[in-house]
Amino acid sequence: MIPMLSITDTHADSPAHAVVTAIVNAIPSPELGWTGLILLFPAISVVLTGLCCALRVKSKLPGWITVLALAGSFALVLKLYFLRGDAGAPVVVHLWDWMNFSWGNQDKWHSLQADVSVYVDSLTLFWLLFVTGLGTLIAIYATEYMEADVGKGYARFFNGVSIFILAMCTLVMADNLILMYLGWEGVGLASYLLIGYYYKKPAAAAAGQKAFIVNRIGDLGLAVGIWLIWVNYGTIEFNTLFQVWNDADRGVGGFDKALIPYCLMLGAFGKSAQLPLYVWLPDAMEGPTPVSALIHAATMVTAGVYLIARTYPLFTLHPDALATVAWVGGLTAIFSATIGMAQYDFKRVFAYSTISQLGYMFMGLGVGTTFGAAYHTLTHAFFKALLFLTAGAIMHGFAGQLDLRKLSGLRKVPGFKIVSWTMLIGCLWLSAFPYSAGMLSKDVILVQALSGKDHGFVWLGWIGLITAAMTAYYAFRVWFRVCAGPVFYMPGEESHDDHDAHHDDHGAHADPTSTTSHEFHPHAPRWAMNGVLLIIMLGAFATGIPGYMEMRGESNWAQVMMAHSSAFAGSVQAHVTDAVNFGMNPHQLVEVFGTAASLGGIAIAMYFHLLQRKSADKLRAWLLAHNSIRWIPVAMENKWYVDEFYHACVRGPAWIAGHILHFTDKHVVDGLMVNGIGRIPAALGRLFQPLYNGVLQGYATTMAGGAALVVAWVVYRWLTSGVGA
Amino acid sequence: MTHLLAVSQYGASHAVTITLAMSALLFTIGLVGFLVRRNMILMFLCTEIMFQAAALAFIAFGRMRMDTGGQIFVIFILTIAAAEAALALGLVILLFRRKETLSSEAWSELHE
Amino acid sequence: MIQYLLLLLPIISALVIALSSQRAAKWIALIGSTAAFIAATLFAVQFPHWTTGNFWPDLNTTPILGNFGVDLKIGVDSVSMLLVLLTVFLTPLAIAGSFSAITTRVREYYAWFMILQASMLLAFMSRDLIFFYVGYEFTLIPMFFLISIWGGPMRGPAAIKFFIFTFLGSVFTLTAVIFVAVRHFDSTGTWTFAIADLVKFSSTQLSAREQFWVFVGLMTGFAIKTPFFPTHAWLPLAHDQAPTGGSVILAGILLKLGTYGVFRFALPMAPIGAIECTTFFAILGIIAILYMGLVCWVQTDIKKLIAYSSVSHMGFVVLGLFALNPIGLQGAVMYMVNHGLSTGALFLCIGMIYERYHTKDMEQLGGLVSKMPVWSFFMIIFTLSSVGLPGLNGFVGEFLCLMGAFVAEHDQPAGYPGVLGPWYAVVAAIGLILGAMYLLIMLRKIVWGTLREPHGDGHTEHAASELPTDLNFREIAILAPIAVACLVIGLYPKPLLNAVEPCVKEVLVNYPAAIDAFNAKRGLVNPSAPVKQAETAK
Repeated sequence: MIPMLSITDTHADSPAHAVVTAIVNAIPSPELGWTGLILLFPAISVVLTGLCCALRVKSKLPGWITVLALAGSFALVLKLYFLRGDAGAPVVVHLWDWMNFSWGNQDKWHSLQADVSVYVDSLTLFWLLFVTGLGTLIAIYATEYMEADVGKGYARFFNGVSIFILAMCTLVMADNLILMYLGWEGVGLASYLLIGYYYKKPAAAAAGQKAFIVNRIGDLGLAVGIWLIWVNYGTIEFNTLFQVWNDADRGVGGFDKALIPYCLMLGAFGKSAQLPLYVWLPDAMEGPTPVSALIHAATMVTAGVYLIARTYPLFTLHPDALATVAWVGGLTAIFSATIGMAQYDFKRVFAYSTISQLGYMFMGLGVGTTFGAAYHTLTHAFFKALLFLTAGAIMHGFAGQLDLRKLSGLRKVPGFKIVSWTMLIGCLWLSAFPYSAGMLSKDVILVQALSGKDHGFVWLGWIGLITAAMTAYYAFRVWFRVCAGPVFYMPGEESHDDHDAHHDDHGAHADPTSTTSHEFHPHAPRWAMNGVLLIIMLGAFATGIPGYMEMRGESNWAQVMMAHSSAFAGSVQAHVTDAVNFGMNPHQLVEVFGTAASLGGIAIAMYFHLLQRKSADKLRAWLLAHNSIRWIPVAMENKWYVDEFYHACVRGPAWIAGHILHFTDKHVVDGLMVNGIGRIPAALGRLFQPLYNGVLQGYATTMAGGAALVVAWVVYRWLTSGVGA
Repeated sequence: MTHLLAVSQYGASHAVTITLAMSALLFTIGLVGFLVRRNMILMFLCTEIMFQAAALAFIAFGRMRMDTGGQIFVIFILTIAAAEAALALGLVILLFRRKETLSSEAWSELHE
Repeated sequence: MIQYLLLLLPIISALVIALSSQRAAKWIALIGSTAAFIAATLFAVQFPHWTTGNFWPDLNTTPILGNFGVDLKIGVDSVSMLLVLLTVFLTPLAIAGSFSAITTRVREYYAWFMILQASMLLAFMSRDLIFFYVGYEFTLIPMFFLISIWGGPMRGPAAIKFFIFTFLGSVFTLTAVIFVAVRHFDSTGTWTFAIADLVKFSSTQLSAREQFWVFVGLMTGFAIKTPFFPTHAWLPLAHDQAPTGGSVILAGILLKLGTYGVFRFALPMAPIGAIECTTFFAILGIIAILYMGLVCWVQTDIKKLIAYSSVSHMGFVVLGLFALNPIGLQGAVMYMVNHGLSTGALFLCIGMIYERYHTKDMEQLGGLVSKMPVWSFFMIIFTLSSVGLPGLNGFVGEFLCLMGAFVAEHDQPAGYPGVLGPWYAVVAAIGLILGAMYLLIMLRKIVWGTLREPHGDGHTEHAASELPTDLNFREIAILAPIAVACLVIGLYPKPLLNAVEPCVKEVLVNYPAAIDAFNAKRGLVNPSAPVKQAETAK
């Protein structure tokens, strides 16, 4: 069955209907009230780290409070998972009333139920597992990474992390769309605060602001989507919504209903940094690296994927909705990959790769494999967190150096072995090396795309394959440059915390004019960072398990979990068509071309960035030397001028409009209208001013004259009224 | 004058008419005096004349309506005029002390 | 009797202040306003109609102009109660916030402040239109003096403009009120100014044409007070020039007198008139949201920015009110309370900065978080509340206002009767983006970034002698309660929503039928066809 078939048809007898009504009604489970503790632990951590902040605690206490709280949440999530299994019915736990009321008369009955309640189904659990798990690990990593800030921003940092986990758990556990909106904006807030963590850097403050504002554009879409859902279905609670979304009695559908998926999509694209709203994510790399790993790679940016998976049935309300998701995802994937290939800041490379990989996830959602999307989210969370954390370790060690031209051969630098090899794993997974978890998850998506019949999904599959090659190239461009080759390094120009110039060993040596590094001692990561890197690497291996099982045709837990959630809309690993390209079915196609893309990309990277490093510069110089093609590298290095485009086309006009309106307000509304009217009495007064010369007799004459006029008028009336005639 | 007699529903007598005319004359004298003189004491005297004109009119109308209201008012007017004369003359003295002149033109601060 | 005590306490304190010494004045004011707060709290505890929408106390009337039906009727329903609580909550904080800022003519300042409180309380608690009007108008006098004596360099024009502008509008309001009273006299033979009677009479007995003019008359005053879009010109100047305490009260409470008037008088008195004008006023609200959002963006003066943002925020209230359905009205009332809290607090924060640096210019200030972390913490919280971040108070009202406007259409299962529709809400919701934009830009300029201070390293000698670098205990004690209130309302708005709900239904009692009639006239489908409530009904 091709999923799109079911999507184009929402009649009650269609397969989609049959499948979706199979979303199991949730069981109110007060006995699972302890689920609320998953939220309570980070909340306590927010309060305690806030207190640490206020009391200016000068130890690592806030870090460990956070770690403990997150570990507690993770333990509870595990408990819930084992209690419930992969395929249990959704659980609803009511915590407290939030925004709800009802109003009715005899004709109509309305209610808005937006409680602080928890809705846990497999999809929620799936997300919770890696959010709290990776959150704990990255918090442990950060206790060491942020140690230079102990007593300064340390508590503030962990406060932000706690806010984030709290909001993220709220987002995925929310029982209704408005509570989800709370989590949605809450993660935006945490992201804002943490991107702007190094607030003294103007770039960091600006990046935080940009992230929040761009996300707000998406949030607007989400808000409108919520209103549309409510107005069409009279409920915003997931559980109720899934029971009634296809109910023929509820409205006539049509224009309004069909808009729902597009509105939600806008929200998802904003949060998950897809075209056209991706511009905030690269800038968000101004934040501390654990934040980039946790928020801007592994968890928060997947909220958009979660949103679409959660409201998947609604995406069938318009036949082109999912196709739009797929195409936006695919185009984002290849677009940001081109930018990623040309960046020199390797954290930015990873940022663009995140956007690109998120593009794959949306492609997976769009072409109909929520399992593929969710599974790719999972593998990506691990390998991208791993990559960012290794990047962080390198920054930490080399005084904030991020330029891949200024670091080389780190695997031979003492103390950086674990970092280098875990980074290799991360790069292999990212470049979809054959039989790595990254490849397994990506393949699920690509196979599904290539077996699609309409909406040009086959082309999308090919775009995905090309992107895979580019991904392999830029991933290994980083690794070969930074970790392989001869040992050579230049420290960054600033200590990574940027808080005080008189920092201990590495900050003091961060002399921008020095090109030699003999007096600079890299600051090797210790047990917390290394340990976390190793654990996450193991995790990255483990995420391959469902993929292997999938490959062998067995059912696996990831798939089962998706199949028993709202993300199941007849989409799970749909039948592979016998569509044949080059004499191969999609499975074989992806196997062959995917492997080729991955290995080819790595090989090219190896040539340019390990074996013949000079040739890369030569190639660039050659491209720049020819006028007809020099725009390619220039545009790629300048990120296709998208920021500049927005600046000129959106911000600029609005800015000018603001000034014009301000001018209008000051001089037309206030100056001309209000003050103008105010001047009328004054002008009238000036007209009669000569009468008031200050001499008493003048006033008396006026008065007497006035009285005489009145008398004269009365007498005149009297004479003419005929009374005396 | 004939009009006055003709329309008076209270049957105004000749005496009333004459008294009212007298009142009007007095008032006019007072008003003209007030307007043309600049000496503050004379101006004050003119206001008193106007007052008395009003009082006379009260008497006349009281007589015409045959009730005592007019006379009562006259007594009030006299009382007030006395009090007011004391106040006004005091003020005049005060003003004279300030500028050593009785001319009202010396006091024109009210103009813009 | 506690309601009279509540009214008298500020007046008594004002008298005592007038007789006291310059030194004791601020303490007496603080004690007096705190006593009013306690009295109001007791009043609220006794208040039995939190969920029924009735007025309480019911029987106390004191005839003042008995012949003309002007009685001193004091009583509150839950919406009035909320605004009374907001008044007594903010006043002591605004007084405490003036302690170090007001150094001249101290006695007068606090005496006027207490009189201001008394008149606001009278306006909110009166159940007689004339006394409402007296309180409503009397706020102008103390506020006029607060601005014109203790204000900034442009205080004279600001005060005069504020006074004349708002006074001009109120004249029309009074005219409309008297018109309704006269019509009531004409048809029943008795004079009354009791709100309940006039509302009942006006909404049921007046013709559509009369209702239209009554509505327009009432709205002229309320629109200027709120202020609605083209009549806002007094506000930026007045807010900017007023002393901190004055700005807090002005933004926190006085603006709500306008929307309270719309809620309590204009909407219930003239349903048909209101429906006729809904589109017009909603568009004005939307213009205010967007136009002011853009204007805020280019401000360089923090206080002006917040002042303009008030106009933008009141646009949401207007939209919520004219959604003419319970969800929008609830949102509007919530927004009134929340805007009072968060904008009042923002003005307090700005006042604290002004006392230290003697500038409100964003170009001269920057990176204050490294010098004043506690202040920055509060500033961020209140800004986020103003941005409408869920979990803080601003969100509840804003979301409900927009949702109310959005669902005000007929042909959907959950659609409320109403005249507006999705497009109004969607366009207005762009204000969410603009709001985030200008407020976060403000944060970036003054809170984040590298430290910038106007005079080398900061304080003038005067300020330095009194105030520490960061907030002192008094200032923290002022801001902390508001922050707590913001958080509590954001996370648990249920009690407030419950309290507002019955009053909203009371206001809207004539609307569904009137809207159906209106839509029928426009040729729209009458949707009152029963909608099955299937299984969603819990």
